[in-house]
Parts: sequence; structure tokens; C-alpha cells
Amino acid sequence: MDLKEYFSLVFNDYTLRTITLGTAILGAVTGMLGSFAVLRKQSLLGDAISHAALPGIAIAFLITGAKDTNILLLGALVSGLIGTFWIRGIVKKTHLKSDTALGLILSLFFGFGMLLLTFIQKQPNANQAGLDKYLFGQAATLVESDVWLMAIVTGLCVLVLLLFWKEFKILLFDADYTKTLGFNTKTIDILITSFIVLAIVLGLQTVGVVLMSAMLLAPAAAARQWTNSLAKMVFLAAIFGAFSGVFGTAVSASQNNLSTGPVIVIVAAVFVVFSFIFSPSRGLLFKQIRFIKNRRDLKLHKTLAFMHQIAETHEDISHPHTIKILNNFQGYTKGTLKKLVDKGFVQLQGNMWSMTEKGYSTAANLYNQQTDSHE
Amino acid sequence: MNSAQIEIQLIASLVAVACAIPGTFLVLRKMAMISDAISHSILPGIVIGFFITHDLNSPLLIVLAALTGIITVVLVEYIQKTGLVKEDTAIGLVFPALFSIGVIMIAKNANDVHLDVDAVLLGELAFAPFDRLIIAGTDIGPKALWIIGVILLITLTLLIAFFKELKVSTFDKGLATSLGFSPAIIHYGLMSVSSVTTVGAFDAVGAILVVALMIAPAAAAYLLTTNLKKMLVLSVVFGIFSAILGYWVAHWLDASIAGSITTVLGLLFLAVYLFAPNKGIIAVLYREKQQRTEVSLITFLLHLKNHSEVEERHVNHLREHINWQKVRAKKVLDLALKNNMIHIDNNVVSLTEKGETFTSKAIDYIITNEDAQIEDMKDDFFLFRG
Repeated sequence: MDLKEYFSLVFNDYTLRTITLGTAILGAVTGMLGSFAVLRKQSLLGDAISHAALPGIAIAFLITGAKDTNILLLGALVSGLIGTFWIRGIVKKTHLKSDTALGLILSLFFGFGMLLLTFIQKQPNANQAGLDKYLFGQAATLVESDVWLMAIVTGLCVLVLLLFWKEFKILLFDADYTKTLGFNTKTIDILITSFIVLAIVLGLQTVGVVLMSAMLLAPAAAARQWTNSLAKMVFLAAIFGAFSGVFGTAVSASQNNLSTGPVIVIVAAVFVVFSFIFSPSRGLLFKQIRFIKNRRDLKLHKTLAFMHQIAETHEDISHPHTIKILNNFQGYTKGTLKKLVDKGFVQLQGNMWSMTEKGYSTAANLYNQQTDSHE
Repeated sequence: MNSAQIEIQLIASLVAVACAIPGTFLVLRKMAMISDAISHSILPGIVIGFFITHDLNSPLLIVLAALTGIITVVLVEYIQKTGLVKEDTAIGLVFPALFSIGVIMIAKNANDVHLDVDAVLLGELAFAPFDRLIIAGTDIGPKALWIIGVILLITLTLLIAFFKELKVSTFDKGLATSLGFSPAIIHYGLMSVSSVTTVGAFDAVGAILVVALMIAPAAAAYLLTTNLKKMLVLSVVFGIFSAILGYWVAHWLDASIAGSITTVLGLLFLAVYLFAPNKGIIAVLYREKQQRTEVSLITFLLHLKNHSEVEERHVNHLREHINWQKVRAKKVLDLALKNNMIHIDNNVVSLTEKGETFTSKAIDYIITNEDAQIEDMKDDFFLFRG
């Protein structure tokens, strides 16, 4: 049993257990915070921040000369925050739009980071190899202390979310109202943005600079399709994120030559596609089904209304007419006629039809009031 | 300078120009992030093309990659149209997914492919002169130079031929449609040019530098001018300047050329962002400060006009009443004095005749809120700034 073997490995093998736990926690925290990014229309901020973090990693290495994960991530955090606030500065103080600001910071910081990385590689220091794992991430390098760090940050993040839930929520949906209520919107805004930056920086080691934005967006975008409540969305996104992490790790561990980051992103993307299609209220499939059903109902109404017009011209409403006269009417098909019979609006005798009392009154009221008897 | 160095600088400059032209329109159309998405999502196209041809410079590769670029745009638009998520989320979902597919394809076939994800993202301009294009036995220059040259030529031809259409549809979509230009054709045309440019340039300079070269010069130019032609020229100049300076910085540091060109672009943008005459951050902050002082002054004058009682107009009381800091109150008071709006007797402030008329005018404006009133006042306004 492959699956069984895998599960026993997850529980027994140190590396696999660490990686699975790490990616699961990472997925959960990015899913939670990603919900806010998506709803605040800051989806691409994640992409910009993750790229902007690169020079921070390089500079932290240049200063300390050591490859301690925590210090490198601290550097990433600082440079990510600088990038974020520069983006805000550009959008607020100049007429450049947010997309330009994001693209600018993203490419400029990343380019600068690459300059530093290539510069470091030429340095006579044996320690420098492996810095470029931050480009695409290497989940295999996760150790227990990294997972602990992730868990602590996630705990902190949950705590802050619970504490400031009301403030985050109101700021999300009505910023002006929040201001009039006397909340310090700037502080709340900075708080949530900082946590988004923190989550992104945490994921750099695992998923890498380039794909981090998908970790932030995909679970949230998938969760958004299933609910209209913020609490449920955050919760669902955390679950989707965690599952993407676990499944992605499982798939990449079971095959050779598969890096974890891209696989996690693909799994998350599958979640999104599935949600887009199969979500009951917003999904494309059910939307299409509802669309077809509505069109059928409309056709039925048209036929009924046409019959009603004919029946009106006779004293006796159940006076029989030939089916033929319906033929030049576009809403008419054998199916719709049968449906009308089933509903008891029309009676059939050979190739003649006649309206029933019920059908007549329904048709007469068809456009006068909203009858819910059809639905 | 040897010939390889000249060739590198020439390639870099041509890429800069080829990127600056579509980049200007992307920035103006608020679609800058699309270039980032394209630059990532062309990866699967490149990989598939490479599997078929086993040649990084084959035209098929460019066609396939450009096709994936356009597929990205179409996918983003499709997702956006369903209304399930916003446009930015759609972009953020599509390109990492496509990029991941590319990375996985490379990883799964790592044995028989010498294609590196780093190479796609970063490129290596330093090697470009070694890959020569040889036709009928004669060496006619580096391949990259010819590829980007052809792309630039096409871009320039399209720009000159459709300049008017591009301009109108960029600034007024409704007008463009009513004049009979199809916005869809222009949109997809621009997207195709962006894709082709990205693909043509990635080999030389890498995908990320393409994004930087598209957005940064255009953004810097946009802070300096609002004239489309000037903006195009400026962004081309910025692009070439950073390409050449960037090359020499890389030469000096012995680091990635693409990275150092981007860094120069970043410093250039930072300089423009700080010091642009009207829209730079320093100018904006200065103007905001001026406006704050002007508003304070008007508040102050209105307060004086409203109160004839001596105790309301006492200098100390003003500070308590309007709740100003000491420095600010003094600044406003000085400004008003300098412009002969007020005079101070025994620490009691009162309006002069000039101040009276000005305040009445200001009230008129505030009440009616008509633009005609403020036109008149603007002349008076600038008098204050001593």
C-alpha cells in the first residue's frame, strides 16, 4: 500500500513530518491573511512584497555573513515592509496608479536583490551557496525550529485577528464609516498589512519568492466562493491552505525531481478551479444550470400566455383547439406542452388541447403578480 | 571597450527601447501588472517550445511563448468576467499556476534539458555576444541583437501606424469605440506586442528585467510630463541611459548585468520620485504644507470676521480657541500681518480693510461653491506666499 506507507512515513520520518507540518501551518496562516488581502483588493501586494523581500535576505547575509534562517527572514521582513510602505507612498502622493507602483517595487527590488545575490556569489566566502533557494523555495530545508517559528507566528496572528476582529472587519467593508466611528484606521491598516508581510516572509523559505503570492491568494479566492461571511471565509481559507500544503508535500515527496513549492501552488490552483466550478451559489456550473432552468421557465410562460390569449377569445375557456396552431409559436415544444399538462394547466384530447380553470387563472396572473407556484 | 562590450550595450539599449514603448501604454492603461504576469507565464510556452526544437533561439519558441502570454491575458479576462474574483486576484491566480506548470515540466525532464529557470527569470546578457547568427557562412552579429532588433522594428512600425488609435483608446475608451476603433483589437494588439517583446528579451535580460524596463522608465516619465509623445521619448531615454550605465556598474561590481540595470532604473525612479518638479514627493509635500497654511489662514480670518468682541480676538485666546500649536499660530499670524490682512493693537487682532474684502470673498466662495469665485481669489491667494 503506497498510501499507507506514506502515512506511516509522515508519522515516523522526521524530515517528512517536519515538512508536512511546516507547509500545513504555512498554508493555514497565508490562507487566513490572504482572505484580507483578497477582500482589500491587495491581491498583487503579496507578489510585490515577496519579490521585494529578496534584497533584504541578501543584505542580511552580507552584514552577518551567516546563513541563519531567522536573521535572513528578519532582513526579508524589513525590506518587504520598506517595499510595502513605498508602494503606499507612491499611490498616495503621486498620480501613479497602484498597478504601476506594485510592478515598480516588485521588479526594482527583485533586480536589486539579484544584483546583490550575484555579487555575493562572487565573494570569496564558502558560506554563500544556497541563498538562491529563496527564489523558488526548498521545503526540504525546513527544520523543526522553522516549524516552531511558523507556529508561533501563526498563533500570534490568530490572537491578533481575534483581538481586532471587529476593527479588521469594519475597515474591510467600510473604511469611511470606520473613520467616523473614531477608530484609528491608519494603525489598523498598518497592523493588517504588516501581518500579511510577515506571513509572506515566513513562506519564502518553503515556497520561494516567485510563487509566494499564489499561496496568499489561491486559498482565499477558493474560500470566497463558498461563503459570504468573513469568519467562515477566513476559516475555510486556512483549511484550504493547510490542505494544499499537505497534499502538495505528499505529491512532491512521492515523485522524484519535484520541488514542493510549485506542486503546492498547483494543488491550491486545483482547489480554486474546483471552487469556481462547483460552488453552489457562485459556481459556474450551478450558475449555468440556473440560467438554463430560467430560460425554460420563461418559454413555458410564453406558451401559457399564448394559450391564454387564444382561450380568452372564447366564452368557454376549456374550448378545445388544435395543437397545430401552437406550431408557429417559438416557445412551443412537445416538452413544454407535456409539462403544462403535468402541471394541470392544460388538458390534451387527441391532437386538441384545452385550458383548465387553474391554467387560465395562472396565465391571467402571470405578469400581474409574482407567482411562486412554479418554483 | 571591445566589440563584445559594445554589442552587449547595444542589445541592452535595444531591449530598453523595445520595452519602453509598450510599457508606456501599459502604465497609462493601468495594466502594468499584466506585464509581470506575462513575464512569468511564458515559461511553460518556452519549455514546450524547447522540448520540440531543442534550441533556445528558435522562432517557434518565441511564437509559442508569445501565445502563452496571450493565453494568460485571455484567462485573466475570462476569470474576471465571471465575476467570481476581482481583476487583481485573477492575475495573481493565473500566472503562478502557469509558472508552476513550467517549473514542474523542467524539473520532470531535467535530465535531457539544459534549460534553467534562473536563466528564464534572470537571463545572462554577458553570454549574448557569443551566440552568433551565421547566414551563408558569414557572421552578421549576435542572435539576440537580431531578434530584439526585429521586434523593435515591428513595435516601432505599429506605434507609428496606430499612434492616433492607441492614444485615443488609452485616454478615452468610449470615444475610441464611437469613432469606430475596436478597443478589443487595440487591446489584444498591445498585449501581443508586450508578449512578443517579453519573450524576445527574456533570453538576453531575463523576465524580471523586462518588467522593470517596461514599467520603471514609463513611471518615471509619467511623473515628469503629461504629454504622451514626450512621455514616450523620456521613457526611451531613461531606458537607454539605465541600460548603458547599468552595464558599467555590473562590469565594475562583477555582478549580474540584468540586476544592475534594474538597480540603476530603481535609483533613477527614486530620484524622479523625490525631485520631480510638480509631482515629485518633495514638491507634493511642500504644496500640501502650503495648502494647510492657507486653510488655517482662512479659518483664522473667518473667525476674526465672526467675532467683534475684544476677548474673542485676543492673541492668547485665539490659540486656545482654534486649538493651534504655538508655532503654527504664530506662523499664520505672521503671514496674515505680512499681507496686510490684520493689524494687532494691544494683543487684540482685527481685520484690515483688505482682510475684510478678502474674507467676504472667501465666504461667498464657501457658500456658493462656484468655481468662478475662486478664479478671482486665486490672484489674491498667491499674494500670501511671501
